[in-house]
This record gives sequence, C-alpha cells and structure tokens, in this order.
Amino acid sequence: MIVVKQDAMPSKTVSRKTWSRFKYPQSLIRFSIYLFILVFIGYSIAYMNIPLDRFLTMFGRLGKMIATRYYPPDISYALDKDYLRYVLETIQMAYLGALFGVLLSIPISVCASFNVTPNRKFVYPIGRFIIMFCRSIHEMIWAILFVIIIGFGMLPGVLALTMFCIGFAGKLFAEEVEAIKMGQIEAIRATGANFFQVILYGVFPQVKVMWTGIAIYTWDSAFRAATVLGYFGAGGMGWYLKQTIEQLDTLRVSAILLSIITLVIISEILSAWARNKIAKK
Amino acid sequence: MATLEVINLRVRYQRSGPEILKGVNFSLEPNDFLAVIGPSGAGKSTLIRCINRLVEPTSGEVLLNGINVTRLGQRELRKARRSMGMIFQEFNLVERMSVMDNVLSGRLGYTGTFRSLLRMYRKSEIQKALEILDKVGLSDFVDKRVDQLSGGQRQRVGIARAVIQDPKLLLVDEPTSSLDPKIARDIMGMIKKMSTEASIPAICNIHDVQLALEFSNRIIGLQDGHKKFDGPAASVNRNVLEEIYAFEVL
Amino acid sequence: MNQDTLQKNQVDAIILTRRKAKEIRYCFYTLLFLLVIWSIKITIIDDTDWDRIGNIGSIFRSMARFFPPDLSLIKYLFKPTVETFMMAFLGTIIAVILSLPVVWLGARNITPGSSMTYGIGRLIMTLSRSIHEVVWALLFVSAVGLGAFPGIMAVAMRSIGFISKVTAEAVEDIDPRPLEAIRAVGGSQFQVILFGIVPQILPVFIGNTIFQWDINIRRSAIMGLVGAGGLGLMLQRQLLMYNYGGVTTVVIAVLVLIGLGEVFSYYIRKAII
Repeated sequence: MIVVKQDAMPSKTVSRKTWSRFKYPQSLIRFSIYLFILVFIGYSIAYMNIPLDRFLTMFGRLGKMIATRYYPPDISYALDKDYLRYVLETIQMAYLGALFGVLLSIPISVCASFNVTPNRKFVYPIGRFIIMFCRSIHEMIWAILFVIIIGFGMLPGVLALTMFCIGFAGKLFAEEVEAIKMGQIEAIRATGANFFQVILYGVFPQVKVMWTGIAIYTWDSAFRAATVLGYFGAGGMGWYLKQTIEQLDTLRVSAILLSIITLVIISEILSAWARNKIAKK
Repeated sequence: MATLEVINLRVRYQRSGPEILKGVNFSLEPNDFLAVIGPSGAGKSTLIRCINRLVEPTSGEVLLNGINVTRLGQRELRKARRSMGMIFQEFNLVERMSVMDNVLSGRLGYTGTFRSLLRMYRKSEIQKALEILDKVGLSDFVDKRVDQLSGGQRQRVGIARAVIQDPKLLLVDEPTSSLDPKIARDIMGMIKKMSTEASIPAICNIHDVQLALEFSNRIIGLQDGHKKFDGPAASVNRNVLEEIYAFEVL
Repeated sequence: MNQDTLQKNQVDAIILTRRKAKEIRYCFYTLLFLLVIWSIKITIIDDTDWDRIGNIGSIFRSMARFFPPDLSLIKYLFKPTVETFMMAFLGTIIAVILSLPVVWLGARNITPGSSMTYGIGRLIMTLSRSIHEVVWALLFVSAVGLGAFPGIMAVAMRSIGFISKVTAEAVEDIDPRPLEAIRAVGGSQFQVILFGIVPQILPVFIGNTIFQWDINIRRSAIMGLVGAGGLGLMLQRQLLMYNYGGVTTVVIAVLVLIGLGEVFSYYIRKAII
C-alpha cells in the first residue's frame, strides 16, 4: 500500500513583497569606495602627467627598441672569464646573505610570534618592529646604506641581503609559528621545561618542514636581488650592468640581462624542485 | 506527446572503457513522477546527466517535447537546458553568494551577457524568486550566504533554483543522499509538491527504495546499464526488487 | 640459529645503517660548512677594502654621518611621497588588469589551447617574477624616458607574476560542482566563469592584490634611483650631494609611507574580505 504524503513543512515565515540588491547603507558605502578609487586613479594620472597616448604605443616602442638596439646580445661578453667569476661571487653573496639572514630570523621570528614570545610587552613588539623595519627598507636602499658605511664590495651586499632576508623570512617564519597547535606547547611547558626547551621540542618540530620551504623561497628571492645589487656598488654581476648601461653598450647590456634572467629562472626551477621534495616528505 | 523520450541510449566514458549505459529506452508522460532505482554503479546518475548532456551520450537519442537534444549545437543546447531544471545530490550552489542570488542564477539561461555581468535580473524574475522562496519556506533567509545554511535548507535553495527556470522537466539526481532521513522525506515531499503544482514531470534518481515507492507513480529499475523494469510504482513487489538489485531484499 | 641470534643480527644491521646514514650526514654538513667558509673568504674577506674601513670606530663615524636627519627637506618631500603612493596604486591596478589574461592562460582547467597556452601563461608568470623591478625600470626608462610612468609600468610588470600565479593556482583548485549547476541551468561559458569560478577565487585574488600593493609601495620608493620617479629621485639627489642627513630623512619618509600603507591595507582587508 503506497501512501503519498503531503508536504508537512509548516511555513511560519513572512512573505516579502519586494527585494533590492542595494541595501542601505552597505551598498552606498561600497559604491562610494568604488567611485573614490576611480576618481583617485584619474587624479593620479593627472598629477603625475602620465602620457596616456604614449601608453598604447609604448609596447610597440619597447619591442622595436629591443629588436634594434638590444639584439643580437653580445653573448661572448657574458661568457667572459672575469664576468663568470662575478657571477659565481653573486651566487656566493646570495647564499651567505640568505644563510645569515635565515639564521638570524629564527630567534627573531620566535620573539615576534604572539603565541610563544617570551615577553608580550617588550620582546614581542621589538621582534615585530625589527622584522617590519627590515622588510620596509628595500634591499637596494640597504645596499646603498652599507656601501656608504663600508665601501664597495661584497660585504655590503651580504649585509644588505641579510637585512632583506631577516624581513622576508622573519615574517613568514612568524606566521608559521603563530599557526601551530598550542597543545604540544602546553604539554612541554607542563613538564617544567624552560623557554628554550619549549621552543626546541614544541615549536621547531612542528614548523620544521614549512620553515625549510620558506628558507628555500628566501634564498631564491635573495638571489634575484643579489643579481642587481651590484648596480649600486654592492658586489656581483650588477656592477657590470651599471658599467655597460653607462657606456651605452646596449648589446652587452642585453647579454647581461639575459644571463641574469637565465640564472634566476634556473634558481627558480631548482628551488621549486627542492620545495616540492620537501613538501612530499 | 511524451515529454521525454530516451531511445537506445549508450554511454561510454572512454573509448576503451566499459559501457556504462547499454541501450536504455523509455518515455516520460507529462504527469509522471518517475523514479530510477538500482544498485550503485548501475548508471542512474549517468542516465540523468545524459538527458541534459552534462554527460555526452555515445549513441542513442534524447527527445524533449519532440526536439532531439542529442543533436543540438551549443546555443540550442543552452536553450534546451534552461527548460530542464536540475536538482543535485550535493546541492551544487555557489557558496559565497546569497540565497537570492543562487535562486536567480536559475534564470541565467534567459539572461544576456551584459545583464548577467551586472546581475540585473528582470523585476518579474525577482518577484517569482520571492514567491518560490516563500513556498519552500526560506523567506527569512533571502540574503543569507548559502554556506551558512543547513543541508536541508541548501537543497531547498536548489529546488527553488530549478523551479524558477519554468522548466518543462525536472531532473533530480539523488536529492536526499546528503541529508538526514527526516529531512530527506521533507525534501522529497517538497519536490513532489513543486512538480504536481506546476505540472512539471520529473525523473528522479533515488537509492532509497522506500522513498522512491512513496513519492513516484512510475519506477524504472536499472542494473548494470540495462533497464530491468519499467512500470507503475504500485506493481513493484519483492520479486521485482530482487531482480533489479540481484540479491535478497531485506 | 635460534630466534635470539636472528633478532640480534637484525638489530645490528639497523644500527649499522643508522650509523652510516649519520656519517653521511656529518660529511654533508662539514662540506656545507667548508663551502660557507670558502664563500666568506672569497666574498667578504678578499673583496672588502679593509683599509678604508679602518676600525670599528670609523664605522661608527660613518654611521653617524646619517644623523641628525636633515629636516629642512621635509617640505620638499610631500610631492614625491604622494607620487610614490600613486605609483604603487596605479602599478597594482595595471598589474591586476594585465593578470587576468595571464590567469586565463596559465590555469590548467580553463586554458584554451592545452599545454601550449598553459606554457605561455606560466612563462609570463616566471619572467615577471624573475626580473627584478630595477631591471624592469631600466628597460622602461630607456623605452619611454624618465619620470613616474616607467616606474609605474615596472612595478606593474613585476606584480603580474605573483598575482596571476596565486590566482591561477586557486582556479585550478576550485570546486567543479557549482560550474556543473550553471551549465545545467543553460548558462553560457561566460556565465559559468562569472558565477562558478569568480566567486570562488575572489578572496584569494583580492587578498593577494592588497598584499602586492603593500609590497609595491616599497618598490615604488626606489624606482627613482634609476630615474623612474617618486621618493627615489629625492634619495638619489641626496646621495649625489653627499647629504647623508637628507638620505636619512628620505628613508624615514619611506618608512612613514609604508606604515600608512599597512594601516590602509589592514582596513581595506577587513572591509572587503
């Protein structure tokens, strides 16, 4: 015997007569923001005298310029022994800067993490401030500052990269630490361990994998910066870039740029591969 | 004329893969509520999806009110699809949009590109949405984001979205599998109510035989891509079920 | 051979492999350490002009040249600061607009031409991220001359890679079920993208855009060092005049601007997401 049941859903809801997508005041606020953004864009373009007509022709000019003046690149220049030595030094500079930066970031980021910082009133803000400070100043500015203090060469480059990496890795490290499960930390604290033991046995095991990936990413970014640091005198192949640009040696410039791009792409592939391997483990 | 005619439908997902549907034939009359039952892997879900060509049939024909859906080009297919309202097992709603926007998205087949960019639906459509939401009991949730609703409420949004299309046919794919048994019964009731009130025939894929027999007037039994039974729900007895499910029906 | 001897042999074997692994690891670390020492020697020790540095005292004296900051510059800093802010803003917006086709190409599930277009999309993303903003700036300055415009384009080019990469990855991870529903309703391809894909990736897209806008402020600040506008021009001028107090002032201005940017982006993030 089949019984067809009627719908037994009691409808206590009130039936509405109209509906509008625009709710006051949220929609008004949203539209004002959009309008403001558009107006600001227009104002900015006028303020900076941006030649809008040039905008469309720009890519054409860029293409033509590259084709005539930057091609064919003077590859022999880029394969020159002295240049290659500088390339090697750039890699070493990046490597050292990233190493020191990452090592220094470890304690700084622990202090800058709200959940495990030893002192929330003083140490935490100081840690945060150091990281923000290092991040805010562009690596090129760091390079220039160190060049002024120390002179030309690799050392200011390594120091500049260290500062950059503290900011870069520090922020990412701290984010990871703040995302850990506090249960493990509580357990270790409960055993009576001191601060360092808590960090060593509670925090590090949880963040180890992510931190390794971040460290590789940091090295990659440091390398990209290292290739250009020499432009401002801080050592590395960037110096050659400055020379050739100043001498209007455009074919050599393109050779150097090509070598920079190639190296960065290689390092990107390497770091992506390394990060994949770490992620799979 | 039958609303839906399925003629010798065959489906194979890959050229070398097994045939999921092996020549299914049936037709659907304008006042039918047809339930498709059968064991898992019988091809029930595939069958429903072939009707609006979410899955492309390998051979065979599907006729909707005389129009051969299987032969349609892209534009005509979209037109045909908007006359078929579909209700999904996992609701398939746009999570971050509101209930109202999800229901109105049922009218996208009737909305031009520009209007859909600005989400400018017609006033009549908005009115209809409000009426349907009232019928499914969601008037209080009109502007709520869908991911804040319960399973039963989400399926009601799915039902509303299918109904607002003014469809000629309802395609229902396991509407209750993701729901609690009590809610499942309510939802089936609601679908049946919408179907009878607006005189829309429905073809519904269900694995719960009890519900199928309760709400439908016709049953099709599918087993391993073959149609094993096609008849009124009243005539489904233990032998029929045993044949479809090929084991002792408890 | 009884059970105990068998077990002991197994344990011994494990200890042996562990020790071997340990030894390999130590060798590796020592090698790494030696590499570091060698690198330090080559880059820092050999390359640095130790005579010029002198002693620690002269280093501190060098640092002292940066203080006190030259406050007379402040009134000249407003225009460049606003310009830098606008450069970051416009650069990010241009990057957002130009990222859209790159996302379309570089996402496996919506790319139009299978692996070829996907490869092009990914290549554009990699190029954009690999080329340093200074290099982009140099390119654009030689193409369109000095000023803020090349700086904006350089910043934009640099950001395209990040925004499009993260968004493309989000597109590849979407839930396909709403797309099925929009198709079933009779929606066109455009509507499937608009109602199926866009709502799902919007938080990621906007979040990362704001993130890049933040970073672009610091990038815009140095564009002037190669002639591309903003506070960097001021910085360069102070450097050329050896006015280190002025350098400090400009750096402070950059810090203030970035601070404001952080505050802004915090509130915008709360409002939109």
